Amino acid sequence: MNWKTKRKLFIFVFTVPTLLFFCLFMIYPIIQGLYVSFFDWSGGSETKDFIGFDNYKEMLNDPIIGHAIYNDYFLVFWKVIGIVGLGTFFAVAVTRLRLKGAGFFRQVFFIPNILSVVVIGVLWNYIYNPSIGFLNSFLSLFTENKVEISYLGDEAYAMWSLLPPAIWAGVGFVMVLLVASILNIPAELYEAANLDGASQWQQFTRITMPLTWEQIKVSILWVVMTTLNGSFVIVWIMTEGGPDNATQVMGSYLYQMGFRQFHMGYASAIGALILILSLITTLALQRIMRRDTHEMS
Amino acid sequence: MQKKWGKSITLLLITALLLMLAAGCGAKKEETKTEPTTTPETKTETKTEPTTTTTTEPTKTEAAGPELEGDFELQYFVGGYGDAFWKEAIAEFAKKYPKLKIKESAGPKINDQMKPRWIQGNPPDFVYIDGAGSNATQMVKDDQLLDLTDWLESAKNEDGKLIKDLLIMQPVKYDGKVAPIPFVFGTWGIFYDKAEFKKNGWNEPKNWDEFLAVSKQIQESKKMYPFIHTGKYPYYINGGLVDTAILVNNNYDTSIFDKIQALDPGVFKSDAVKKALEQVKQMVDAKYIDPASAAINHTDSQSLFLQHKDAFIPNGLWVENEMKKDVPPGFEFGFIPSVTQPAGGKLVAIPYTSTIGVAKKAKNPEAAKAFMQFILTEKYAVRWAELTGALDNIKADLSQSKDVSSLSKQASSFYNSPDTIVAPYIELNADVDKVKQDSTQALANGKITPEEWMNRMEAAAEKSRGKK
Amino acid sequence: MHKKTLGSSILSAIIYVIMILWALCVLYPLVWSVFGSLKDNQQFLLKMPWSLPEWPLLWENFANVWTNYNVGTYFMNSLFVTIVSTVLALLLSSTTAYVIARFRFKGSQALYNLYLASMMIPLILGLIPLFFLLTDLHLSNTLFGLILVYTAMNVSFGVFVLVGFFKTLPKELDESASIDGSSDYGVFFRIMLPLARPGLISVGIMNVLNIWNEYVMGTVLVNDPSKYTLPIGIAVMQAEMQYRTEWGPLFAGLLLSIIPVLVVYFIFQRQITSGMVAGAVK
Repeated sequence: MNWKTKRKLFIFVFTVPTLLFFCLFMIYPIIQGLYVSFFDWSGGSETKDFIGFDNYKEMLNDPIIGHAIYNDYFLVFWKVIGIVGLGTFFAVAVTRLRLKGAGFFRQVFFIPNILSVVVIGVLWNYIYNPSIGFLNSFLSLFTENKVEISYLGDEAYAMWSLLPPAIWAGVGFVMVLLVASILNIPAELYEAANLDGASQWQQFTRITMPLTWEQIKVSILWVVMTTLNGSFVIVWIMTEGGPDNATQVMGSYLYQMGFRQFHMGYASAIGALILILSLITTLALQRIMRRDTHEMS
Repeated sequence: MQKKWGKSITLLLITALLLMLAAGCGAKKEETKTEPTTTPETKTETKTEPTTTTTTEPTKTEAAGPELEGDFELQYFVGGYGDAFWKEAIAEFAKKYPKLKIKESAGPKINDQMKPRWIQGNPPDFVYIDGAGSNATQMVKDDQLLDLTDWLESAKNEDGKLIKDLLIMQPVKYDGKVAPIPFVFGTWGIFYDKAEFKKNGWNEPKNWDEFLAVSKQIQESKKMYPFIHTGKYPYYINGGLVDTAILVNNNYDTSIFDKIQALDPGVFKSDAVKKALEQVKQMVDAKYIDPASAAINHTDSQSLFLQHKDAFIPNGLWVENEMKKDVPPGFEFGFIPSVTQPAGGKLVAIPYTSTIGVAKKAKNPEAAKAFMQFILTEKYAVRWAELTGALDNIKADLSQSKDVSSLSKQASSFYNSPDTIVAPYIELNADVDKVKQDSTQALANGKITPEEWMNRMEAAAEKSRGKK
Repeated sequence: MHKKTLGSSILSAIIYVIMILWALCVLYPLVWSVFGSLKDNQQFLLKMPWSLPEWPLLWENFANVWTNYNVGTYFMNSLFVTIVSTVLALLLSSTTAYVIARFRFKGSQALYNLYLASMMIPLILGLIPLFFLLTDLHLSNTLFGLILVYTAMNVSFGVFVLVGFFKTLPKELDESASIDGSSDYGVFFRIMLPLARPGLISVGIMNVLNIWNEYVMGTVLVNDPSKYTLPIGIAVMQAEMQYRTEWGPLFAGLLLSIIPVLVVYFIFQRQITSGMVAGAVK
């Protein structure tokens, strides 16, 4: 065997098995998912009927789909505000404001990020539990009558109640990301600003924001993508999409349809919808935020 | 960084488009051959079952009954009722038919585990349909169960009695055909603590007016809420309250349940349904329902009930068994099948069940049928009650047995009374059922009106009819 | 000048308070579940949620979940699946990443882009077909099947980070090595892998966290209780609480799944955070 074939073989050995493996367990299922979405199939019977785009047409007439999409973007919007907002604030606080115990805060704030969403969901279920939960008992300390809000059971509160655990779980990551990038900003910039008499707020808007904008952007995209692709877990653990579909997101509705109501074809079509919407959203955000950078600089 | 993001996104978009194209082409091509994998390899599967015991006991050959031989596989779910009953019955059955090679596929997750085998057309012979992931109606829809219409007409059990006559609850008919046979029997009802009621001088209600009156009394006493239910899983309140009211308001004419099962147009807007929902609305308006109900599950709601935070709870007969550990001393379970009837009216019991059936593709359907004839006897009805603390669907005298729970005895005395109407068992398909659960939950939370409930159900029924 | 420092010290006091409040928000639920894990049902129902557990502390809750709820089994399963999948994912991704980073060959860019792009596809779309794929391969309900899926899920992240890593290693290294007569394989395993250790650790820790906490795939692909991993077990336990009220053991189970991750976090926190940052700075 000459040197060249040896090298070729080496490259082959180091890439192709991984690729085949990856295609079989990642790419193939996703193609299959798209394929099944053109069938009427219960997931339990031996026969599938090809129905073309009927599953997709049915989605147009399904009010829960619209509601689920709305809920997904509700979570996206408020999670971006909450996680990126708080994360930025904390990052600036531990770096620029030279608080004591910055290391402690960094360590502690990051803890929720390493917990499983299942653990977070179960934990918060009991914080919210209307009778034995923490929150109602705590609020009752300040009111005359016992507070008996059923956070996850009342359509008016349920979606809002999903936000605190979701934000709680994400802030640490954004903070760590931004701390790293703020620490990379040359200290002379701030020194010069201080000499010019710029306030902390001015320093934040003129120096910190523009120079960490890349990381803020990454944070926003991270929140958006993990929410659209993964918010279903916390929903399923905490409310199963209830009450009365009030907290249904696309992922939980996919699960409900496929595994509880026996419409695998329709569930797959919802999966395709998630794929399309997350692509469009990420693309759109790219566009918007790119323009922002120009305006700022 | 920007560049990288942009590039990868474009790329992803292209990949996605390609994938979709590929999927589209694939779909057209494969239109004709429907199942992706129905291959002979299925045989090897049997290794993976968790509990597979082969019981072949050499015993004296009994002459009775036709000779049965070959393989015989049973699938049964093991949940709250345990597996003691099945183990015992199968062992006895094996003694009777020593030539059968019996295999048991059982466990708490057996429905999911066997699912691939059903899809591939290699199911077990006999199946006990219970637990998460099982749905008898869906199995009928997927054409997985054997038509037992003719069998039921003439089948006699081991004791030579016609099985049909012994069933407390008749099987659901799907387009006039019988496939799953109800095996477990129980009813929903309203539960309360007799001792607590006595202590507070509250009357045990016998009808709707008394129920409302005592609820008001309880509310005014400020000791507890009158009523709690398992809001996260509204089938409790459906079975214990809404469905009883529907039957009551239909003048105890059970034909309305057949219409509901058949999803007859307009049935969810009928007068009986309307009046029934109004009764729920009355409770909502009077604020008798504990607001905690909305978000909680079975045991959370039952715990609150046991702790006297609430006076009434709609539930099933298993509740006493289920909560054994947490029942406070002095607690005395009281049970009434329904409270929605007017003074002087009859009691109404809404049943729940788990069914048994034979697989359509069973390899040994004769053995499966013989096994059903073997267990659908009075003897095994008593054994079921003794081993599980619940009731099965065969009319049998339980009063002789010490091991039957007090609630089961209370309940069974209700069913034997001429003043109790036991409704036929119905099972809506998963789609309509979901809408019913959601709507009832919203109604009990005071979020929708009875009219909205009716409109939603009619719409769901229509959609489901359109799909058939 | 004086006024300004007064203002800013008030400001920093306010910020300080906010930070402490948030730290409480993060820590208290954990402390609360420690208390909860040592209580019985009566204390849950009759006492305030923040009350300290009564004496004697119910340590048996932990023993109870460990044995009766098989948390011990779940724990071992999680450990096994996590370690094997992480090692596999590292092996598969580092080899590919190395070749992409340091060799020129046809399709290397396309390969890189494929892995990069796949990081954005919602995995849930492939969930149902994956279930049937594993069934066809007779791998559903096995830890091995779960390992394959978890490995595949983590390959692209590894490729992405490690390509960057291998690119930063000096070019002369492989030249001098090949002069020594080492084969390509030898260079990779004996020289490159050890040099890429910081990157491997970062990626490895991210994989460990991902796999240890994964729930969605596991819950569909594994149905046999003896094969549950911890997140599935916890979710099932919560579901089972519908038939048995055992809040104390539930919290004990939660803690048992949290503690190992916390320990790993405090040991490797620098690598974890840098690994996460590397992952997001795509």
